[in-house]
This record gives sequence, C-alpha cells and structure tokens, in this order.
Amino acid sequence: MAAAEEKKAEEKKVEEKPKVEFKFPPNETQLGIIAGIIAALITIFTGLPAVIKAVGMIFAFVWCADSVRKTSKYGLGTGVPSIGVMGTGYGVVGALMGLAFARFGNIGQFYPGVLVGVVFMGLIGLVSGFFSNSEKYIALKIPRLERAMMELGMAGTLALLLEISIVTGSLNFDAVVTRVMETGVIAFMFILSGMAMFHPYNACLGPDERRERTLMVPVEISGLLCIILGFALLILGTSPWGPWDPALLIVFGVVIWVVFYTRFIKTCMKECYATVGTGLIKTIE
Amino acid sequence: MPLEVVLLFAWTLVIVFLAFLACHFEDNESDIGSQSNPNSQVQLAPQVGQVHRFFNKAISGEPLSNALYQGTAGMIAWMLLYKLEPLVPDAKWKAAVVAIPLAVGASALIHMIFATTAHCGRIAAQKRFEQPIYLDVFYGHLIPIATHGFLTTFSIVSIAYIQSNLGALAGDPRLNHPFALPLLAFIWGITVGSIGSSTGDVHYGTEREFQDRPFGEGKRVIYHGRITRYADCGIRTSKDISPFCAKFGSPATGLTFGLIILLENWRTLIGMKLGGYLPVLPANLPLVPTVHFATAEGNMAAVWGIILGLIIIAAWIVGNMIFVKWIRAKCGPFVGA
Repeated sequence: MAAAEEKKAEEKKVEEKPKVEFKFPPNETQLGIIAGIIAALITIFTGLPAVIKAVGMIFAFVWCADSVRKTSKYGLGTGVPSIGVMGTGYGVVGALMGLAFARFGNIGQFYPGVLVGVVFMGLIGLVSGFFSNSEKYIALKIPRLERAMMELGMAGTLALLLEISIVTGSLNFDAVVTRVMETGVIAFMFILSGMAMFHPYNACLGPDERRERTLMVPVEISGLLCIILGFALLILGTSPWGPWDPALLIVFGVVIWVVFYTRFIKTCMKECYATVGTGLIKTIE
Repeated sequence: MPLEVVLLFAWTLVIVFLAFLACHFEDNESDIGSQSNPNSQVQLAPQVGQVHRFFNKAISGEPLSNALYQGTAGMIAWMLLYKLEPLVPDAKWKAAVVAIPLAVGASALIHMIFATTAHCGRIAAQKRFEQPIYLDVFYGHLIPIATHGFLTTFSIVSIAYIQSNLGALAGDPRLNHPFALPLLAFIWGITVGSIGSSTGDVHYGTEREFQDRPFGEGKRVIYHGRITRYADCGIRTSKDISPFCAKFGSPATGLTFGLIILLENWRTLIGMKLGGYLPVLPANLPLVPTVHFATAEGNMAAVWGIILGLIIIAAWIVGNMIFVKWIRAKCGPFVGA
C-alpha cells in the first residue's frame, strides 16, 4: 500500500517536474529531519539575529504544514483547521514548558534546556495519536496518525519558541510573560501560527492537491508573520542587536512574502484546468 | 444614580450596538466569499459536474478566520497605540482614532491575501473536474470581501478598545478589563465567527434553494451543487447571495450576537449593582483585577450575576420550546418524522 503510494507520488513528481522551479526535500521524513535539526539548533542559540531565527521559523512552519497535510490527506475536510489549532495548542504548552526548563543546563548563550518542551510535546503527540488510533479507545484508524501528531507537537513547539525568542530577544520566562503574554502578542502569534499550519492544506485541499504547491503557502504566511513580528520587535525594543535587527527582519519578511505569494498564485493559475478572463457555467455529464 | 454607573451602562450599550454591526457584516462577508454559507456545496458542485462561478474562500472555519482578522488588527492597533498614546497623554482617544482604522485597514489587506490563496488553491486542486479560475470572479469578489471584513473588524477592535479602557472611559480606571487589546480582539473574533457560522445561513435552506420542498425535508444528493446555478437574474455568483441574506439572515445573526453581549454585560452590571459593588467602589480596592472579588461586595456581585444568568438561560429555554411547538403546529410536521 505504502509502496504503491510512493510510486504514485514519484510518478506525479516526474510528470510535474518541469513546472516546479525549486524543490522541497523529496519526502516527508527528510523534510522532518532537516527542518527539525535546523529549527532546534537555531532555537537553542538565543543570541542570534532575528532574521536567522525567522529562517528557523520558516523551516518549522513548513514541517508543521507538512504534518497537517500528512494527517489530513486521507480525507479530512472540515477537520483540517482543528488539527492545525491543536498543533498550535501543543506549541504554546510546549513552549511554556521549554521556557520553564531553559534556565537549566545553559552554557553561555546556548539553552539546550528548552528542548525538553519539544521532546515532551513529541511524546504527548505520540500518546494522543496512539489513543486516537487504537482500537481499544477512540479507534479513528487514520494511517500514520501517531507519527504526524508527534511531529506536529515538536514542530509547533519549535515554531512558537522561535517566535517568542524573536519578540523577546531571549528565552527568559519572566520577560516572556511581561512582553508576550500580558501585552496580548501571544493571541496574534497563536492565530497566525495556526494559519501557517492549517491554512496551506485547507486552502489547497482537493483531489489534485500537490505537495510542492501546498508547501509554498506556509513560507508565504511566515513572511507575513516576520513583517508584523518585526514591527513588534521594533516597538518593544527588545532586540540585543539594536533597531537594525527588526528592520532586517521586516525586509526579509517582505521579500519572502512577495516571492512565495506571487509564485504560489502563478503556479495555481498555471496548474488549474484553465485560467480564463470570464466564462459561463456549464454542466458536465 | 452616580454618573460612573450611568456611563458604564452607556458604554455597554455602545458595545452591544457595535456587536450587532460586527456580526451582521460578518455573516454577509462569509456569504460573499461562500466561506461557511454554501461552502460544502461550492466545493461539491464541480465534482458532480456543475462548473460554477463562485468564490471559494476556504481560509478556514469562520471562527478562526475571524480570529485572524481581528487578532491581527488588534495586534497592529496595540502597536500603534503603544507608540501614539505617549504623544497625546491628555487626550488618548486621539491616538485611538488614528490607530484603529489604520490597523483594521492593514488587517483587511491580510484578509484579501488569505482569500486569494484559498480561492486559487482550491480551484487548482479541482483540475480534473474542469473547473477553471475565472479572473472576473477572482478579482470582483476581493473588494466586497475586504470591505465587509473591514466593518466587522472595525467594530470588533472598537469593542476591544472600549472594553480594555472601559473603567477609564466611565471614570474609574480600576474597572478596566484585565486582558490586553489583542487578546480581547482575538476572543471576540472567535466568538463573532462562531455565531456567524452557526446562525443566519438562510440562503442554504428552504427559503431560497428548496422552496418547493415540503417543510423539513432533507436535501437529496441529486440537488447537490444546484445552489451554484442561477440567480434571480443571470448566473449566480457569491455576490448574489449577499443582498438576499442582508434582508433577514445577517440582521438575525447580528441580533443573536448583540443579544448575547447585551444580556451577558447586563447581568454582570446588574449583579454588581445588586451586590452593592457599583455606585462607589471600595476605597481600598487595589488595581490588580483578580483581587476584586476578594471583597464581600465582590463575592455578592458574582453571586447575583450568576443567579441572573441562570434566570436568563431558563427563560430562553422555555421561550424556545414554546416557539418551536407553535411553529410545528403552524407549519405541519417534519416529513418522515
């Protein structure tokens, strides 16, 4: 079954190769490993400039969107946003837990303690996936749900941690509470992170959905997120690198957004049945 | 009655009015994008061979997409207020007058961005059903979607601003809402979306599409996708749904949300009044909002508020039962029941 699916996917890729100008890692496992390692490395080095954290965030969001796609591909329709919001929820809880552990075991500016939250959320995702799928409990029987939930928990936590780290410039729990929670920035982070996770698959849902096309959307939304977080960073003035840091982040966000948005819309218009100026309805027997 | 109390009630009524507007336009906006109203039908129509001219704004469910517009607008408004309020310390409302429309405008742009990705993505994923992207449909719906969304977002962000400054506006800053503006906008966004999603979808039902069906009959599979065919004049697009729903569905949705806000705030304020909490706040009351209920008056205010809430719920349940009984007796039994 899995082999047949892979073969099918390969065939699809070969067929559509000339249309895609850039390639994502060819399969889900590779993407998960690459994105996870890059995002985790950037997360623990909190002293990095915001732009580099934003790169890590983009990787984490692509991973998130891919996990949502993995979970929902078997035929979820209206449930896609729920999966994404659950991922964001995992992310917020995991990020808070990671922040609580950040003070332990740090070496200078490196905080490997935050990864406790990531690992914990991976375990929670695995357990919840197991309970949802197991015949004895909820018996949803969704293929590969356990793995997708685990990845969603880990990727969501990394994404939220990186966002928090961009806005506060550190991984200090008190700073996060005063600058992110009490100011209400967390509400914005929550909803736009959720959008970056579930909007790609929800927007591209359908029988002719294609992975490369879908995965352009989280990058585009991350660009939007970078622009607004850049302004937040500028206003809060928390960056250790001065005002150039948020300015660079805003420019980076604009570039990423423009490139991936235009590319996505162009790809859609090229790959749909036809793009016409106007036309009438018709009934196909 | 002291002026503070009158002002509190007055500001609450302003919030209720804004809530009515917000949910009215939310319902209309979701109709133009066919986000919740006939979205399953719009999605299904090409699959049963009915190529349509509808806008498929599948950003997400309405609660989350509204939380996006309003949360974003709240965040941008908060950032602008953070910078502008220190410039006019004596008249902070001037900062709000500039900040809220700018923030809502930016959020409307983001709304349009998400609408385009959703429409293009969904139509491109229906290639095998021969559904093309009609560019006039694509461009023609964006401005109505953005403007209706603008009005919803504007009302909600105004509500959030008034709430987070309610005490200061009414004369006692200790009554300000403990939540920050973006958080309030986010929560109200989810609420307005949920109510708009669950109420007022008259286009979907017997009133329009299935007028010749017996009362209460379910939808047969052969009728799926028919909702996308013809309007009163010409071929139906998502824009044709809006004027129809604006006559009854959207005001009904607005009324639902407005009533929820009105009754909720009314019971809280009356509870505070009955608990002896409102005319004069206790002099030693600290500014930390969570400590309010530590006083005996605070406890009594909460108790009265809960009692009034239970009475309101009971009244609604009884009223609804009587209404449904009456309407069934008047319009006949459900077919197949």
